[in-house]
Order: sequence, then structure tokens, then C-alpha cells
Amino acid sequence: MTNLANDTKQIDGLNDRYLLFSIDDSYYGLPLAMALEILTIQSITRLPRVAPYIKGIINLRGKVIPVLDVRTKLGISERAYDDKTCIIVIDLHDMHVGLIVDMVCEVLSVPQENIIPPPKNYASYISSVSQLDDKIVLNLDCETFFQNDLEQIRV
Amino acid sequence: MSTDDFGMESMLEIFIHETEEMLEHLDNILLESERAKSITEENINSIFRITHTIKGSAAMMSFNNISSLAHSVEDVFYILRENPSKLSVVFNSIFDLVFQASDFFKKELESLQKGDYTEGDPSDIINKLTHQAAIIKGEQPLDEEVSADLSGSALPSESELSGEGVVKMHVVFDNDCGMENIRAFMLLNQLQPYCDALTSIPANPEADSSLAAEIIKNGFIIICKPANSPDDVFKTIESSLNIKSYEVLQDEAPAESNTVSSGETAEAADSSPKDSEAAAAAQAKSDIQNLSKGVKQSLISVNQTKLDHLMDLVGEIVTAESMVARNPDLKGLRLDNFTKSIRELRKLTDELQDIVMSIRMVPLQGTFYKMDRIVRDMSKKLGKKAELITEGGDTEVDKTINDAIVDPFMHMIRNSIDHAIESPEERIALGKPEVGKVTLAAKNTGGEIFITISDDGCGLDPEKLLNKAKNNGLLTKPESAYTEKEIFNLILLPGFSTNTNVTEYSGRGVGMDVVRKNIEQVGGTISISSEKGKGTTFTIKIPLTLAIVDGMNITVGNTIFTLPITAIRQSFKITDESQIIHNTDGTEMIVLRGECFPVVRLRELYSIESGIEDVMNGIMIQVDCGDAGYCIFADELLGEYQVVVKPFPIFLNKYDLKNQGLSGCSVLGDGSISLILDVNTLKNE
Repeated sequence: MTNLANDTKQIDGLNDRYLLFSIDDSYYGLPLAMALEILTIQSITRLPRVAPYIKGIINLRGKVIPVLDVRTKLGISERAYDDKTCIIVIDLHDMHVGLIVDMVCEVLSVPQENIIPPPKNYASYISSVSQLDDKIVLNLDCETFFQNDLEQIRV
Repeated sequence: MSTDDFGMESMLEIFIHETEEMLEHLDNILLESERAKSITEENINSIFRITHTIKGSAAMMSFNNISSLAHSVEDVFYILRENPSKLSVVFNSIFDLVFQASDFFKKELESLQKGDYTEGDPSDIINKLTHQAAIIKGEQPLDEEVSADLSGSALPSESELSGEGVVKMHVVFDNDCGMENIRAFMLLNQLQPYCDALTSIPANPEADSSLAAEIIKNGFIIICKPANSPDDVFKTIESSLNIKSYEVLQDEAPAESNTVSSGETAEAADSSPKDSEAAAAAQAKSDIQNLSKGVKQSLISVNQTKLDHLMDLVGEIVTAESMVARNPDLKGLRLDNFTKSIRELRKLTDELQDIVMSIRMVPLQGTFYKMDRIVRDMSKKLGKKAELITEGGDTEVDKTINDAIVDPFMHMIRNSIDHAIESPEERIALGKPEVGKVTLAAKNTGGEIFITISDDGCGLDPEKLLNKAKNNGLLTKPESAYTEKEIFNLILLPGFSTNTNVTEYSGRGVGMDVVRKNIEQVGGTISISSEKGKGTTFTIKIPLTLAIVDGMNITVGNTIFTLPITAIRQSFKITDESQIIHNTDGTEMIVLRGECFPVVRLRELYSIESGIEDVMNGIMIQVDCGDAGYCIFADELLGEYQVVVKPFPIFLNKYDLKNQGLSGCSVLGDGSISLILDVNTLKNE
């Protein structure tokens, strides 16, 4: 981001930008347009009888929002939260949902040519894969990722 | 359209609000009259007044289509007023037409509110109305109607305005108030109810905007024959906006009345010393009257978003108050004066809260009337006979809740008539009364509103429902495992429509699931009971307000729960382990004053990891729940708090926490969240 003109251009092109976070050694990407804010881990009020990956609810400036552990939801074993653990608040069909991730890395613009489709016939939460110089990023498809959570809500 | 201009915006809002209210009133009168099979003279007059006012204000807002339709309705009722005997000739068609007209107005208002207003075309209804008017008049020559039309609002011709009791007034509007001709027209409208005859110079000021200049120059002259006392007329003029002054001219000045000239103003000026004195006296008198009976002034309309904001603020204040009163810095200090002040503050916030709540409360009657209308329209259209019986219309609910339940109710009532109530022939064959009954009843049970919608139609067929759900792939367990209640609840699922035929009114496949969603959004629940062939009852429970509860905060492990104070009977420590009786199935019970109560351990119920296990160390809270109570076992009492109830995020709807003993959550003074317990659903676990 060298100058202002460049900046505006990048905001216009929000669609190419991804918020990168990591879980263990893998990198995941979320469309930046979905992300509302990033919080450090805070006290979570647990809820009884919900899916194990729903960690509970938090108070975000008077608004109560649910938080989900991405690790658990992806089937990766749990680990204790530390000071790098973050909650990414996203806007999912006008609902605010917090995602607990190991670490938020950076915001990246990924040119279209570096994005490749995921393997065919392979049901997963991945919408595409970004090929970067030093790493591979799995871009989460929020529709499929939250499908089982959303089915009862949408009419 | 002039609505684009900013100054009109709030006027538009007022117009919509007022017109809506009048239409509601109109519908009520019509329904009542239709049921009674006659219209009282008073009601004819009310309808006449309502349409007249709508016409006037619509003309002022330059919604010509609304105004011209209102005009036609008004015409018909004007003629009816004169010839009440002809009513029977047109009785049925008149009601349909006026309902159509009222629907047309509503549709226009709706599109105005949406902001993408395009004028609808009322000419069809107008033609029909004109036709009706001609029928009522019977032999009377048609040209009279034309002349009535021309005179704007069927004003009597000027020739009637002479002789005894005629009052002539000279009205001057405020300088630069704008639209003088329209204001003059509005004034005439307002005077209409008080006068037997009314005309003005210039006549029909609304017709030609160039008359505004004339009115500014010469003033506006009203000639009228007051129905009762001229005082009514004077009062109306005084209370009108933008009127600088008015004078009563000599009653006997008939000759000049037709020659509007500057000479007239001079004459008025001549006679003014005496008259203006009289006017001033009248003014003073009416001022005193205004002071002594401020009834008319005591109602104001408020924008709902302001009320919502106020409500939020009160919620914040309550939270802030407990933040101060229970500030950790104050722990262990003895602060007599502080405690006293806090108590005073608490009293005030309580009062504030009550007032704000009561402002937001509206009776359900309005919603019930709307339903009445739907029952009428639908049964007519579908050739079924049904009547709506309402009970408890005076039950008050929060405005937000009232608004949220209109659509679901409408849908359920439509369903009842469309799908449940049989045709009259079928009903007679089945040995039921010919006229189907839909009952809409509301009652207040303390913290909640209970609303039941029941019909005596064909009822739900569990087998059919099950098959249907199976075909739609909605079943999640073997068919035989479904209880009757579960089967009924299937109709609340998305994508379930019991009627394969799509009708005009219902059966588009988006039905009961939307109803459920709307009701859940305001924190309510819906349940269904039905007996095949006998009828169906929907029971809806809605919290009274989206409100603030007095609660006792208790902890279990790291979780804070809030228990509504009203549900708590007592709390106590267990001193001896032998007080707990172990049932044969492993559940625990306790005997209190000769009664046996089950014990619910929140820790086990909600599988909370930490928390006290030994009954001697924790606390027992006895709660009331309907006719049966039970005891809740928790770690510790934190104290009494007032909390603002927030619903769980919609994202978590899937887990149905509402039926698991948790009615919502609340943000506490320190920013942490407590879970609000619902003693009624807690025990069913």
C-alpha cells in the first residue's frame, strides 16, 4: 500500500482480498468482505446442549453473538487458547458469528490467476485454493461450512 | 410528485398515520353495520366524515387518485344520508364497494410507505360507485349529480345561504404561509361537520392555485349556516393552522357577498373595531376553555423508532445502574448514604421503566378487527360461512410484538378458513352448525400473553401429515416413532404445505414455518392440538414485553444463571444430607413442610464441568411452576439484579434452547453474560 490511489483501488477490489488465518500449520482464507472485526480471545459463556464446536456466546458491545471453534468444526483436535487465539467476527446472512482460530495472519490480495478450483468430486468446505509464493491457502466456503447450522434458520 | 421535497416528508408520515387510523375506523363501522344488516344514521355520518377528511388531506398532499375515490365514496354516502330509505336497494353492493375502496386506500398507503409510490387507478371503483349513487337516487335526474360533483364536495348551492343564522367570516392567513388556496379548502373541510350549509368566496379554492394570490390579497370569506352554535365554527377556525386573524362580518350584508372587491375589505375594516373586540373576547374565552379541558391536546403521535431508542436507553440505564450499585470497588465497604441514594435511583429507574413500557403497550383489539375483516372477505369469496369470535381484545402487548404477530395471525386465520372450515353443505351433512366458528382469544397470564386461535373445522389428519412429510423428505426418524404432537409440529417445518391446491389465500408452501419464525422472533412459542373432524387449536405464548426482568443471579461453576424473582418461593441451605430422598429411579427429592419436591441439579442438567456436588455446600432454591413446584440446586446466590432480556442469536435456533429451560440471555454490569432460566420449560426436561 504505497499511496492513496493504490489504497482506494484495493478497497474497490475487496473481492480479491482474503483474510488469512492459521490452524496448526495450515493456512485458511476467508473473503475479506465477510469479516467485520477481529477480537482477541475473551471469556465465553458456555451454552448447554449445543454442538461441541459451538463454544458459547460472547458480549460484543451489548450484542450477544455465538462463537464457533473452527478447529473443532474441521475435526482437528482441540488445544488450549493462548494470546494468539483470535475471534473473527463475520457477517453470515446478516447474522454475526464469531470464529475462533489459532492465529490471524494477514490480509492478502490474491490475483484471480492464482486461485485454482478444489479437487472435483471431493465434498469439503473449501471453495478454492490460492497458490501463493510460499504457501497454499485453503479458502473456506462459508455456505457449505455453515450448511448444517443454517438449514433450520433459512426458510 | 411533491413528496420528494424534504418538508413534505413528515407531513406525509402524518398523512399516512392519520389515514390509516381512519381506515381502520371505517372498516370497523362497515363490519359492524354489515353484521347488523343496517347502517345507523350516526354511522353514515361517520363514514361521510371519514371519507371527507381523507379526500381533503389527500388533495392537500396532491394524491389525486385517493382524493377522487374518497370523493366518490363520500358522494354515495351523502346521497344515502339524504335518502336513508334507499339503503336496502344497494345494501350488499355498497359494502363490497366501500371495502374495495378501503383496500385501495390501504394499498396506496402501503406503496407510499415503501417509497416507490406509483399512483393506482381507482377509476373502476369510482365508476361503480357513481353507478350506485345513480341507483340510490333512482328517478332523480342525473344532472343534479353532476352539479353535486362540480361543487367539489356536494356543497349546497349558495342560494340556500341566506336568512336566519347565516354567519359570514373574513379570514386572513399568515403572511407567507404558502398554499393559501389549499389551506382555505382545508378550513372548509374542517368546518363542514359543524355547518348545515357552507360556501366561500372564492368558491372551490382548491381548484385553482391562482386563487392563492386572490386570497392573500382579499382574504378568504366563509359563509356558513352553523348546525348548532356558531361557537363551534369559531373554535375550529381558531384552532386551525396559519390563520392570522378572522373577523365575523355583519350577518346582514348579503348584497356585497357576490362582489368580491377591495371595497369589501374596507367595509370589514370599518366594522372591525366592534367585531375585533368581540373576536378578541371570543379568543380569550376559548383560551380559557383550552386550558380547562386539554383533552384534545393530550394525545400525541410519536415515531416508533424514537420509542425503540428510548427503550434501549432505559435498558442501558438499568445495566449501568447495577454497574454502579454493585461495583466491585465498593465491596465490603459500609456506605449508608450511598445505599440510600442508590435506593432512590433504583426507585426512579423502576418508574421510568414502567412508564416507557406502558407507552409501548397497545391493545390487541386493532389486530383482532383486521382479522374480522379477513374472515368476512374470505368466507364471501370461498362460499363458506364462518364467523370470528374474539375474546380479550383489550389485552395489551408491546407494539413490536403486536406488529410482529399481525402477519402470522392473518396466515393462521386464512388457513383455518381456507383449509379447515368445510363448505356449508358439508358441515350440515356432518351435523355441524352451518356457520363455521373461528375463535381468537387472548389473555394475560402475568408474564405472558396466551393467544389461542381455534376453529371447528375438519382438524388435522396425522396420517396424511406423516405421509406428506415423508414425501417431502422431512422425517428424521422412523414413522412409528412420531407422537401425535410431533406429527402436528411437522406442519411448522419449512417446505411443508398441507394443501396441494394453491389458492388465492393460502397454500403457497411458505406458510406455518414463516408463522413460527415470526413468533419466535419476538420470543414466543407455538403449539398445536387438533382432533380429526372436530377442529384445530393453535396456542401461542408470547412474553408480555421484550423486557426487563427482576432476577436472582445464581452461579453453577463458571456459568451465571438468572432466575426470575417471581418464580422463586424461597432459598435455603441443606444442613443434613438425610433431607434428600433418593427415588427408585435415581432422582432426588426433598420434603418441605410436608410436601415432596423433586430436586433439579443445574450442574447435571446442563452438564457443567465445574460446580459444587455436595448438597451441603450449595444452595437450594424452591421455585413455583404452575401448580407444581420443584427445587433447583446451584452453587451460590449472587444477589438480586434487574436484567434486560436478550434473545439468543438466531444462529442458535436449531438447538431450541427456549424449550430447554433457557428463555434468553442478558448482559450483566461487568460485561459478562448470564443465562435466564425459564422454570416452566426447565422441569419438562
